[in-house]
Amino acid sequence: MLKMEKVYKQLGDFQLKNLSLEINNGEYFVILGPTGTGKTVVLETIAGMYYPEQGRILFKDHNLLSLYPEHREIGFVYQDYALFPHLTVKENIVFGAKIKKIPVNEIQSKLEQMIQLLGIEQLLNRYPSTLSGGEQQRTALARALIVSPKILLLDEPLSALDPRSKEKFQQELKKIHQTLKTTTVHVTHDFNEAMYLADRIGVMYDGKLIQVGTPEEIFYRPQTDFVAKFVGIENIFEGHVNEDEVSLAEGVSLLASARSKGKVKVVVRPEEVVVSKDLIDGKFQNKFEGKVLDVINHGVIYKLIIDIGVPLICSLNSQAVHEMSISVGDNLWVGFKSSSVHLIEKCAV
Amino acid sequence: MKNNNSMNAVFTAVVSVCIALLTAFIVGTISMVLIKGIPSFATSIQIKEIQFAIKLSLYTSVVSTLLCIILSLPIAYGMARLSFPGQKLVNSILEIPMALPPIVAGVALLILFGNSCFGNFLSGIGLDFVFTINGIILAQFFVNVPYMLRVLKTTIENIDPRLEFVARTLGCNKVQSFFKVTLPLAKNGLVAGIIITWARAIGEFGAALMLAGATRMRTETLPISLFLNMSTGDLELAMASATILIIISLVSLFVFQYFGGGTEHSRTGI
Repeated sequence: MLKMEKVYKQLGDFQLKNLSLEINNGEYFVILGPTGTGKTVVLETIAGMYYPEQGRILFKDHNLLSLYPEHREIGFVYQDYALFPHLTVKENIVFGAKIKKIPVNEIQSKLEQMIQLLGIEQLLNRYPSTLSGGEQQRTALARALIVSPKILLLDEPLSALDPRSKEKFQQELKKIHQTLKTTTVHVTHDFNEAMYLADRIGVMYDGKLIQVGTPEEIFYRPQTDFVAKFVGIENIFEGHVNEDEVSLAEGVSLLASARSKGKVKVVVRPEEVVVSKDLIDGKFQNKFEGKVLDVINHGVIYKLIIDIGVPLICSLNSQAVHEMSISVGDNLWVGFKSSSVHLIEKCAV
Repeated sequence: MKNNNSMNAVFTAVVSVCIALLTAFIVGTISMVLIKGIPSFATSIQIKEIQFAIKLSLYTSVVSTLLCIILSLPIAYGMARLSFPGQKLVNSILEIPMALPPIVAGVALLILFGNSCFGNFLSGIGLDFVFTINGIILAQFFVNVPYMLRVLKTTIENIDPRLEFVARTLGCNKVQSFFKVTLPLAKNGLVAGIIITWARAIGEFGAALMLAGATRMRTETLPISLFLNMSTGDLELAMASATILIIISLVSLFVFQYFGGGTEHSRTGI
């Protein structure tokens, strides 16, 4: 297990604030957060570029902080890959294996394994400056993996790729992880990437870990306002809990299961709201009639803003919008289950 | 509109004239030496005194340049990569010899290595610098080391430090990451530093004159030979020395411009 215990690091004005984290062996852990929140610093601290002022970093109960970077058995892939520009792809890949004095025949077999895993045979004699983003990515990954690291650290490895290459490489990363089962820490600001790859996600903001959980927990049960916004939830309302009802505005109350009374933030995912021209049947505990304020075309998906006393955003596919001929000013019924209403009871961040 | 057009034309004309005048001035000045030096160059170069000056200049400049490299590499790396209190002050101190008139540097060296406790101690262990070839090397080193330092420091600063860190994660210790990543990437800067330091060393006069003196066939480098022959009115030999120095300067300049004083690949090539 990789364990960070109350790690504190000051870098200029930025601080990692007593960061604690446990990552299981073989787990694919994604640190998710906006730019400038300290995600890369976490990786660089694990790898040994920075020495924290306080706290401990343990791997399998060994204190990593007592080891130099070269003894931590870590593979690191930077956002821009940081390939050695004076070496060919092949020289880059075998660099670590040669330094570790692995026998030549073993290096050759590991190289062939990497070639097979990442499909880079045709690149071997080229220099990094002649490679595309995706090719550099594969090279950097092969260079990190050839020395069989115990921990693989990936710093936004997909951010420099075009959307199509990104999707393809996400699948490859997943396949590689399933094959090698290396404990992996991947940082990104892309929630979809995190959802696809992660066994667990840690959401980071301003040098702190705000929430750690499975992708489903982060997606459906955000614990703070910030996490809810970051994972793309647009319906976040101020509410007040009275018994089983949460009041959003005068005449707008929702049925939800609340554990305490008082002020809360109310979160409803747009895709869990059902829209109809007619009154919706009984399986939805929350039903409202409202006027369409806006219809926003996102291609396959449309977003409707419906005034039910508060502006509620709903996601609909384009076929449904066209079949119902929805336009601004129409009166529609919306419905969602009480289980679709998530309450954030501590309004931190 | 018309006024603007004529202003633009005048501005372009002034800039062009300035460029032409300065270029002509430099070419004219150098040509004067070459015109006088080249016809007798073949015969002058066979004179023992000139041959001695060439050999001594080559020997002292190569040794002093080597010393500059050996000392500048770790210092430039440290100044580029480390962070310590008083770093700016140390950096300014390291550059002082560059701002100092060479003749003053020579006087300072003469006082330190001459009849002082330190100078006497060195003399006691067989290291004499005053009026010796060692003195020429020391003077060249002292005056030129800041140039090597500056070129190397800028070069190393332009190399992404994350490349060294990645090398560390791949198993390199600090020494290995320096020799396997930083140094190969600093190749062009190092070559440029060597050229500029060597060219300056071969032309060094003021500091060497003060510390090593100007003795014929003993401490007679090319600039000293030029000085001695001009003093005695032997223009033919003086022009031969000057011609050799000009050729060395021109070749160095072109090589320096080719290598550019940068890194081969300062970033990751993205």
